[in-house]
Amino acid sequence: VRQALAARPFLGTLGLTFLAIAALFLADTFLAKMDRNESRVEASRLFEQGRVLMGWGENGEAIKRVKDALSIDRGNRDYLRTLAEAQLAAGDTRGAEATLGDLLESEPTDGLASLLMGRVLAKEGRFAEAISYFHRAIYGRWSKDAEQNRRRSRFELIDLLAKQNFKEELLAELLPVQEGAPQDIKTRTHIGELFLMAGSPTRAAEVFRGILRDAPENADGYKGMGEAEFTRGNYRASQRDFQTSLRLAPDDPGVRRQLDRCNEVLQLDPTLRGLGSEERFRRSLGLVELTLNEVSQCTQPNPAPEIRELLAKATRALKTQGRAGRQIELSEANLDLAEQLWQLRKRECNSSVTDTPLALVMARLAQ
Amino acid sequence: LIGKLRRSLDRLRRNDEQLVLVLSLVIGALVGLVVVAFILLTGRLAARIYPAGGSGWRRLLAPVLGSLSTGYLLWRYFPFARGSGIPQTKAAIFINNGRISFRTVLGKFFCCSASLASGIALGREGPSVHVGAGLASVVARNLGLNPKRVKALVPAGCAAALAAAFNTPIAAVLFSLEEILGDLHATVLGSVVLSAATSWIVLHLVLGDDPLFHVSGYRLVNPAEFGVYAVLGVVGGLGSVLFVKLLLGLRAWFMRLPQWTVWFQPVAGGLTVGLLGYFVPEVLGVGYNNVEKVLNGDIVLKLVVLFAVLKIVATAVCYASGNAGGIFGPSLFIGAMMGAAVGGVAHALFPDSTAGPGAYALVGMGTAFAGIVRTPLTSVMMIFEITRDYTIIVPLMISNLIAFFISQKLQKEPIYEALARQEGIHLPTAQSRAQGDQVQVHQAMRPASSVLSPDVQIGGILAQVKESAFNAWPVVGNDGLRGMVRSREIEEAAANNGSERQVSEILRGSPYSTVEGLPHVHPDHSLSLALARMGSSGMNVLPVVSRANLRQLLGVVGLDDILKTYGLADGSEL
Repeated sequence: VRQALAARPFLGTLGLTFLAIAALFLADTFLAKMDRNESRVEASRLFEQGRVLMGWGENGEAIKRVKDALSIDRGNRDYLRTLAEAQLAAGDTRGAEATLGDLLESEPTDGLASLLMGRVLAKEGRFAEAISYFHRAIYGRWSKDAEQNRRRSRFELIDLLAKQNFKEELLAELLPVQEGAPQDIKTRTHIGELFLMAGSPTRAAEVFRGILRDAPENADGYKGMGEAEFTRGNYRASQRDFQTSLRLAPDDPGVRRQLDRCNEVLQLDPTLRGLGSEERFRRSLGLVELTLNEVSQCTQPNPAPEIRELLAKATRALKTQGRAGRQIELSEANLDLAEQLWQLRKRECNSSVTDTPLALVMARLAQ
Repeated sequence: LIGKLRRSLDRLRRNDEQLVLVLSLVIGALVGLVVVAFILLTGRLAARIYPAGGSGWRRLLAPVLGSLSTGYLLWRYFPFARGSGIPQTKAAIFINNGRISFRTVLGKFFCCSASLASGIALGREGPSVHVGAGLASVVARNLGLNPKRVKALVPAGCAAALAAAFNTPIAAVLFSLEEILGDLHATVLGSVVLSAATSWIVLHLVLGDDPLFHVSGYRLVNPAEFGVYAVLGVVGGLGSVLFVKLLLGLRAWFMRLPQWTVWFQPVAGGLTVGLLGYFVPEVLGVGYNNVEKVLNGDIVLKLVVLFAVLKIVATAVCYASGNAGGIFGPSLFIGAMMGAAVGGVAHALFPDSTAGPGAYALVGMGTAFAGIVRTPLTSVMMIFEITRDYTIIVPLMISNLIAFFISQKLQKEPIYEALARQEGIHLPTAQSRAQGDQVQVHQAMRPASSVLSPDVQIGGILAQVKESAFNAWPVVGNDGLRGMVRSREIEEAAANNGSERQVSEILRGSPYSTVEGLPHVHPDHSLSLALARMGSSGMNVLPVVSRANLRQLLGVVGLDDILKTYGLADGSEL
């Protein structure tokens, strides 16, 4: 009996304790749910404030709000991405990199985080790493509009490569884009321009030709076509395209400049078909004079004997009268002399200018 | 089924060791759930007192009203629920046989919750420990356990509470041993670990796996940084001493005020926090969100210095005036701000060879904790568990130890012992406990010159046995110690015409005829243990044997040797 009496409080207390544990578990679960809901609402409110501030360009304040939101709803990937965007916009690339690093550590295939990381690294000038992250964005996982986002990422990468003049990589990225890109004129024009930047005027010409087929009155199409032809050395065709473009959009100063340049080349070029021997001779003399001027600007006061001899030869050539019977022969000699002077200029002046009208004509002659 | 269950419970009730282990699990779950409820309730209450976009007057009014109402409740109904709860828990263990009343538990839970939610600048961890210890005590006593078992379960409640409050199960175990019991080798380790682990599991079940602070990965940028971390240790140590002295000084001042003022004394803390919080909201509450910000380097240098100073003042006044709440959380806040200040200056001076202020804030937390609470091991483990960042652990250890030594040098008495002393309670200090244990057998033992050979005849040694003050004799053969025979057994054998019998024959009939069952001590055992074993065996001399080989007799220790060591006998008669 004594044992039974002694056991009663023991069992009772134990039972009460288990009852309390069960009740507390229910109460805690309820409280935790309430806590989570209320906290999420608060976090969401702070996050929205942050987004609004970001829209107003107040990135510093936006960062604070988004961080406050994150301190409540930790690990929220949308908040983290927005924080990284705000940090990037505020110029805090180191902070953005750290935020994105955390995001990518937990989910390495996150497309948006990779894209943002690519932007951050590009801004920091770490182009090789940036390109790698852009690729991750292109092949990464996107929660919605995956195709559109991948294309956007690729175009951002292409723009970066174009800006950095990474021609080979640019061409490699452009080739797959050409197939799947939207077929609107604006995008195709952009692709054509990018092909030009990538050093592929033939592909660019194809693109612009396609544009002009679909939109024969498109000024940008003619402009692009003119540039493509100019790059390929088809100056006459280029001149025609630029003129058409200018007719369609007379206020485009870029096209006017290009046309002027094209005209200069055409006026200098002695190899154009249809030139008479006199005109050809005149142009050859012009080239000798121009190249001699270029060389004279950077030769030493007492040049080496062979240079002195070449300069004297050029001076003599300029004084030579081009009689009708010898004009063809003299033209050839002059062009040969001009080429020698141009080579000398390259050596003596250490110049790498390649896009002046004279340089373009001399390059054509060298071909 | 019910009958079987009842029988199992009966068996459990009779087996003390099993019961304590099972109760550790039960207490772990119970305390974990109560602490989670405490955290959630306080958080939700605070969210309602301070809604988003609420006006500034709330920051002034809420702490005043909170401290006034809880002050009255504490004075009228829950007088033992004031303050942090750690000194009260220690007093319960060392003085009151582990007794903490259910009323105190209730008072601590609700008053602290209201007080902390109103913005009082104190922490939730100390009160959680008190609540946990109280629940363990209440459950154990109501189950009819003896005081020894109740005392054994109270640290388990403490560990469970801290594991849930900080989400730091290992630090919780260490804290229970290092601070509450003052003994890292305490025998309750098993129940403390079980309880902390159960509580932690409960916490994860309800709230998920989330560390208290999310911190960027920090690392040592340059070995020269150790110098800066050492400076942080010095600053942390001095800051800790300043905080502790201010708190103790203010507490002494409040205690000198007339008794009738006790119920509204907490308003002084509420008013101080309210006024400071009106202008600087970061002073309100425990401020963990600001700690996280500073850990991630999001607060500028000037502000961290300001926050540290204001928090020291606010916490000291709140605690000293008798509000309910602890100093763990504020210690972390103050440490983080001090660390960020030191780190901010260092980073401004040597940007390429130092980490950002966040890394120093992280180390600073541990530094202040080690300096204020004086538990260096717990603080290292706690910071590691709170942040889950291992990379900064070595600088943390260096800074912690420097702060600990400075604090020990400049403030002799640890804060909890000093607070208890102010309340008229003299807790055994860790030092005194350690000193007690430091008197070991090797300091009292003597060479084993008087031993018996197993083949010697009783008649030949009878006179020697009768003359000696020892009432037992080690029997040593060629293979070493064989056992102990009592003088009484030898004399009885001789009286029964057994003078020609050999000692080995007597030994065979003795209860201590094997080395395994023989009461013995090792040289590093404490004298108190030797005394306990003498008492239980009834022998006034014990063999001192090697830990590596129980048969290797290193000497003997007698009762008079022990008394002589304590200066109570000269031992000449032996």
